[in-house]
Amino acid sequence: MTVNNMADPRRPNKIFRYKPPNTETNPTLEDPTPDYMNLLGMIFSMCGLMLKLKWCAWIAVYCSFISFKSLKCNASGLLSISAVVMSYLQNPQPMSPPW
Amino acid sequence: MRHLVFLLPALLLLLALPDTRGRYNDDFDDGEDIAEFDDNDFAEFEDVSEDPAVDVEKEPPPRAAPSSTPIEDDEDEATVENEDSQDEFEDADAQDQDMYSKYDNEEFEGYEKTNSPFKDTLIYREVPAHLQNSWESYYMEILMVTGLLAYIMNYIIGKNKNSRLAQAWFNSHRELLESNFALVGDDGTSKEGTSTGKLNQENEHIYNLWCSGRVCCEGMLIQLKFLKRQDLLNVLARMMRPVCDQVQVKVTLNDEDMDTFVFAVGSRKAMARLQKELQDLSEFCGDKPKSGAKYGIPESLAILSEMGEVTDGVMDNKMVHYLTTHADKIESIHFSDQFSGPKVMQEEGQPLKLPETKKTLLFTFNVPGMGNTSPKDMDSLLPLMNMVIYSIDKLKKLRLNREGKQKADRNRARVEENFLKHTHAQRQEAAQTRREEKKRAEKERIMNEEDPDRQRRLEEAAQRREQKKMEKKQMKMKQIKVKAM
Repeated sequence: MTVNNMADPRRPNKIFRYKPPNTETNPTLEDPTPDYMNLLGMIFSMCGLMLKLKWCAWIAVYCSFISFKSLKCNASGLLSISAVVMSYLQNPQPMSPPW
Repeated sequence: MRHLVFLLPALLLLLALPDTRGRYNDDFDDGEDIAEFDDNDFAEFEDVSEDPAVDVEKEPPPRAAPSSTPIEDDEDEATVENEDSQDEFEDADAQDQDMYSKYDNEEFEGYEKTNSPFKDTLIYREVPAHLQNSWESYYMEILMVTGLLAYIMNYIIGKNKNSRLAQAWFNSHRELLESNFALVGDDGTSKEGTSTGKLNQENEHIYNLWCSGRVCCEGMLIQLKFLKRQDLLNVLARMMRPVCDQVQVKVTLNDEDMDTFVFAVGSRKAMARLQKELQDLSEFCGDKPKSGAKYGIPESLAILSEMGEVTDGVMDNKMVHYLTTHADKIESIHFSDQFSGPKVMQEEGQPLKLPETKKTLLFTFNVPGMGNTSPKDMDSLLPLMNMVIYSIDKLKKLRLNREGKQKADRNRARVEENFLKHTHAQRQEAAQTRREEKKRAEKERIMNEEDPDRQRRLEEAAQRREQKKMEKKQMKMKQIKVKAM
């Protein structure tokens, strides 16, 4: 015990560089939520654009927000925002609640 | 005389005007949207004598009045004028009534009755919502935008909190790490192996730190796995099910730094889960997790060990002291020379190889606070890092005796044999399929050859090859038979 206190345990000649863990071999470690949210966002924004449903477009915006920060993928975010904008341009009436 | 001729039609016209106005009244009474018309324009056509009609007409003006409040003053002025004009025409109306009374009453029997349903059949159309100048009709949109803003606010607050917690942890542990490791902090990208001296942010809730350059180990990877405070959905889910922040330490060792054994200690739940999930614990520590009370550690902790000697060797006084004092913060401690990660689910048909193993020490600590941690709580994890350093040094010295070593070697041989047996059938199948595929490819090549001569030659070559193989096999069988004899 005292030996440890006296001697310096550091060994500069035994340095190993950091190797990021290979995520391909361990796919379970990755969180799949952002990928699902991205896909959902795309689907909802397409529904909102084609079927002119405002609530679809809003849900798409939410989904793309959730996945945006994890994936840094702007495509679905821009698509969902364009879906919302187009829905309101085509039909400026306010959204009616589904109940 | 001529003047009289011109005056007569004028007089007739004057008399007829009430009729036309009456007709206008009928048009109104047919149920048009009277609210859209200004009151003062048609006030002069109000028929005061006809009561039902008057009632109907008097209703729209009050309705129109509130919607056109700016022109109230004008209306008052207008009504004064209109009242004057009304007086003018009242006589005309009275004259009309006299005129009508001369006609057959039966002709107008249903006339008054038809007036009353006008009140019921009058449909008041609402102004479409987007034409109304009120924000209240867009309440759903306002709600949505508010939700989005709340999400963004939570993201910023959560990210900052995680960042502060990580920095607090690093500040309290920096001295200990720098005194033990030559390299503290490396992201693997820089050319030279110099300490960055800071945490590596993987994402908004995971921070890494790689330390290297010490006796008894290759390197140490510390992962601060915080809760996803930046995700509002996660925050709401955590309100139902509280979870802790975790600090995971993975120490990789050289071959000479550790003897061959597998050992784990931790909370009962964690031990049960790890025994199912991890390859080495399931193969080498087949028994159920034992209670730690035998060794003086709290009941809440359980032990998984390859053999009793290992447990006795690891559980010295200092270790027991550490475990007892910080039992609530310890999720799991795992020492293994056969660590290869979680059990990999292999698909059928793929040739299986023994997974690569590495001598590893794994520590998982729970940050106190159950999610509601403050930066001050990070100081309480410092003794646990001391325990990690102590374990590294201790395992270098821990050596099994001869019996233990033999047992360990037997265990490893057994595991390898089982693995080969299990995969033997699959490997044979794989080899068979490979051979069949080769034959099929050759046949296809032969078939695809257009030149018939070449085809014949290829076929002959293939036949010769097959004959040779058969001969070789027969020779082998003969040799085996001779040897057996």
